Amino acid sequence: MSLTSIPKPRSTYKAGRSNNFEMNSWLFMRGSGLLLVVLVIGHLFVNLWQGDGIQQIDFAFVAGKWASPFWQIWDLAMLWLAMLHGMNGLRTIINDYASRGGTKFTLKTLLYFATFVTVVLGTLVIFTFDPCIDPASTLEVCTNR
Amino acid sequence: MDVTVKILRYNPEVSEDASWESYQVSAEPTDRVLDALHKVKWDLDGSLTFRRSCAHGVCGSDAMRINGKNRLACKTLIKDVNPSQPISVEPIKGLPVLKDLVVDMEPFFDAYRSVMPFLVTSGNEPTRERLQSQTDRERFDDTTKCILCAACTTSCPVYWTDGQYFGPQAIVGAHRFIFDSRDEGTDQRLEILNDKEGVWRCRTTFNCTEACPRGIEVTKAIQEVKRALIFRR
Amino acid sequence: MVQTHKYDVVIVGAGGAGMRAALEAGQRTRTAVLTKLYPTRSHTGAAQGGMCAALANVEEDNWEWHTFDTVKGGDYLVDQDAAEVMAKEAIDAVLDLEKMGLPFNRTEEGRIDQRRFGGHTRNHGEAAVRRSCFAADRTGHMILQTLYQQCIKHNVEFYNEFYVLDLLTKETPGGTKATGVVAYELATGEIHVFKAKAIIFATGGFGKVFRTTSNAHTLTGDGMGIVWRKGLPLEDMEFFQFHPTGLAGLGVLLSEAARGEGGILRNSENERFMERYAPTIKDLAPRDMVARAMANEVREGRGAGPDKAYVYLDLTHLPKEQIDAKLPDITEFARTYLGVEPYTEMIPVFPTAHYAMGGIPTNIKGEALRDNETVVPGLYAAGEVACVSVHGANRLGTNSLLDINVFGRRAGIYAAEYAATAEFEELPEAPEQLVVDQIEMLRDAGGSERVAAIRAELQATMDINAQVYRDEGSLKQALSDIEGLQARYVNISVQDKGKRFNTDLLEAIELGFLLDLAEVLVVSALARNESRGGHYREDYPHRDDVNFMRHTMAYREKTEEGAGHRIRLDYKPVVQTRYEPMERKY
Repeated sequence: MSLTSIPKPRSTYKAGRSNNFEMNSWLFMRGSGLLLVVLVIGHLFVNLWQGDGIQQIDFAFVAGKWASPFWQIWDLAMLWLAMLHGMNGLRTIINDYASRGGTKFTLKTLLYFATFVTVVLGTLVIFTFDPCIDPASTLEVCTNR
Repeated sequence: MDVTVKILRYNPEVSEDASWESYQVSAEPTDRVLDALHKVKWDLDGSLTFRRSCAHGVCGSDAMRINGKNRLACKTLIKDVNPSQPISVEPIKGLPVLKDLVVDMEPFFDAYRSVMPFLVTSGNEPTRERLQSQTDRERFDDTTKCILCAACTTSCPVYWTDGQYFGPQAIVGAHRFIFDSRDEGTDQRLEILNDKEGVWRCRTTFNCTEACPRGIEVTKAIQEVKRALIFRR
Repeated sequence: MVQTHKYDVVIVGAGGAGMRAALEAGQRTRTAVLTKLYPTRSHTGAAQGGMCAALANVEEDNWEWHTFDTVKGGDYLVDQDAAEVMAKEAIDAVLDLEKMGLPFNRTEEGRIDQRRFGGHTRNHGEAAVRRSCFAADRTGHMILQTLYQQCIKHNVEFYNEFYVLDLLTKETPGGTKATGVVAYELATGEIHVFKAKAIIFATGGFGKVFRTTSNAHTLTGDGMGIVWRKGLPLEDMEFFQFHPTGLAGLGVLLSEAARGEGGILRNSENERFMERYAPTIKDLAPRDMVARAMANEVREGRGAGPDKAYVYLDLTHLPKEQIDAKLPDITEFARTYLGVEPYTEMIPVFPTAHYAMGGIPTNIKGEALRDNETVVPGLYAAGEVACVSVHGANRLGTNSLLDINVFGRRAGIYAAEYAATAEFEELPEAPEQLVVDQIEMLRDAGGSERVAAIRAELQATMDINAQVYRDEGSLKQALSDIEGLQARYVNISVQDKGKRFNTDLLEAIELGFLLDLAEVLVVSALARNESRGGHYREDYPHRDDVNFMRHTMAYREKTEEGAGHRIRLDYKPVVQTRYEPMERKY
């Protein structure tokens, strides 16, 4: 068998430049995590519990929620925090476990790209949402127009 | 009683590959694992190589992986490692193995040396001792116990994958001075630990705390350094 | 392949004395420290109780009382000028360590706390005094760590796991000069020659000649052995200290601080027997007296346990908080190794071989001597390997940590000063030859004897015949056993034939030193027909100041036929300044 399942570390400590990025990212993980607990539980409560619960969710329900700036901001916060939290988590996992520089770079590029696309698309959807995109819509907000 | 000790042997002068070898020795339940290793070396195979010195857990020479856990061979009794089954003994992980249970300690000591593990003061020295209250002395007592055995650092999964991380021991070494009321080098030391490869890489898996043969709350010490970094002014 | 290095000062050994010397020499001149272990593995780290200095932080005290206690504790075989130097410089030695960052325990005012320790008294023996500066029961650990940290700070150059095997000397008009050392690099098996102007030996003791010992496996008297084989003398080798409280059967040290904090020794009848042996300071009598008292209790049938083989150390009356704060490590040893809970149970203890009072004779500058007066230029020794002699016939507790700091510092300073004025000497052709031959002979030897077996027999005979109680018969038995073992040593073989980390070979070499030193110990003990300090002869139970108020000086000489060696004993007067020998009572 090979020597040990975990070989010697790929490199040893070299003094590098120090800035507060890692500290801030560590703090962000804690802060965003806490906020997300509130946001996600609130989201689940309103969507799945209140009123008719899971039965009520349809296009009209979403349209109704996003008619209010309150829910727009709520969902926007959830989207950004969840995506950045997840991205940062994956970033540390890549740092910890991807051993070769090239692999690290590729994985991180993919990660940042995916995060960027999701965040931009999601943000666009929240702010450009048109409840009357269907001309035949019978929603109140559309028929009154 | 008869116990079987299964040792991961490696000698690059003989073969590039490591292999498990089993040895039967007689031992008392209250014997140390180190005693069993000595029996192997002295009676069965003189080429078995490991470091040891004080044999009672204060010099830190004989950290090794016994039944999959980092321990000091001289502080682990046979009866506590389920002697009815073969006892497995391997070198600590994450440091280059040189021969059998002997690893290259240099990367480990390099990390320790890099955190300025010495008292930094400025100004004229007092004629008598520096005063320090009992509470201030108690503040860093836990981390003064460290014997540099490397059991914590080599149990850390982050260190296993990336030796650029200082590892728990170096942070413990820095903690001992950061929280010493006499020390004036805290800012520099914190700056070193704020590095990309510093304290923020700790994932609080608590392996280090579990591995420490001196009972140091290593993970707690690391968290205290993080807190000091966040609230420093 | 031989590599050659050149340093002004080379220090052999990186325990307390070696690193203290390195801090001084390293800041004055180009210095290297050669050590067969990583510095932090050194046995200084196992010292527990404290380091005495008359700081008078908690009660009245002065260095003169400390000097007196040291002289009396050493049964008047102490060189009083040296003891005075040590007691005086103790104060600065402690303060220096504090300034280096050593985390001493503190008083309520924030000063260094002090506690009682065996043999340390107020006003020449009136009562126990609080003189020992300490950091819980891990003072030695803190000293070793602090000194290593300072060595990091000052960029001291270490050669870790370099085993020094030979001292190079040169005959000059000014006498024999030390010119370098030859070392074996454990990791590679390569030989290194270190050319140096000054060499400091700080290699520690040789407790491994005994089976029951508090000493580390690595304490095999290498430094003493090397110097001995060069024909240089060893002083007072018959005086070996047995520490009263080793864990029974194991020898793991339980600090005297346990008794300093109020612990009591009891026999199987639950009697506080030390009241009979030392009515004034009882359990805090000097170690030789307590060890003998314990051995005597066992001999007279008042031992405890299934074989009536040990006595008890009782801490059960101490508050838990005090035990946890002041004695955390030793109580953990009792729990780990004997399964005894010191809060509620008494701990089985028995004397354990602890400290060599003798060693390489030096003066108070740390300069090694070639006879009673003449120094060997360039050769220094400090710590347990040396005999200054501040410990005389019995070392007081805490004085070893003091010794390494005071005389380690002195050796470092004087060696560097000497190196500044001296020139490098030409080394002979192939200076490494002796070591190369020795190693190759051992590695290639095909004998039938095993190192471990010979060592075990040596330790067994020393434990039986040369321990706390000795007499002519037992010592002669030990000597003949040792001679037999030396003859067998010629036929040993090592199983590991490799170059890389060959600890099998290392142990074989170490055994050679142990056999030599055991022989010196026994021969010196046989000639000292008296009882003094750590050397107790049942056939001569009294101190004999008329014939033996003098240091033993042992020399290794070639026999007339030229093939073998024999030991010649000589004597050296004791330096007396202000204290007349008195009967030692406590």
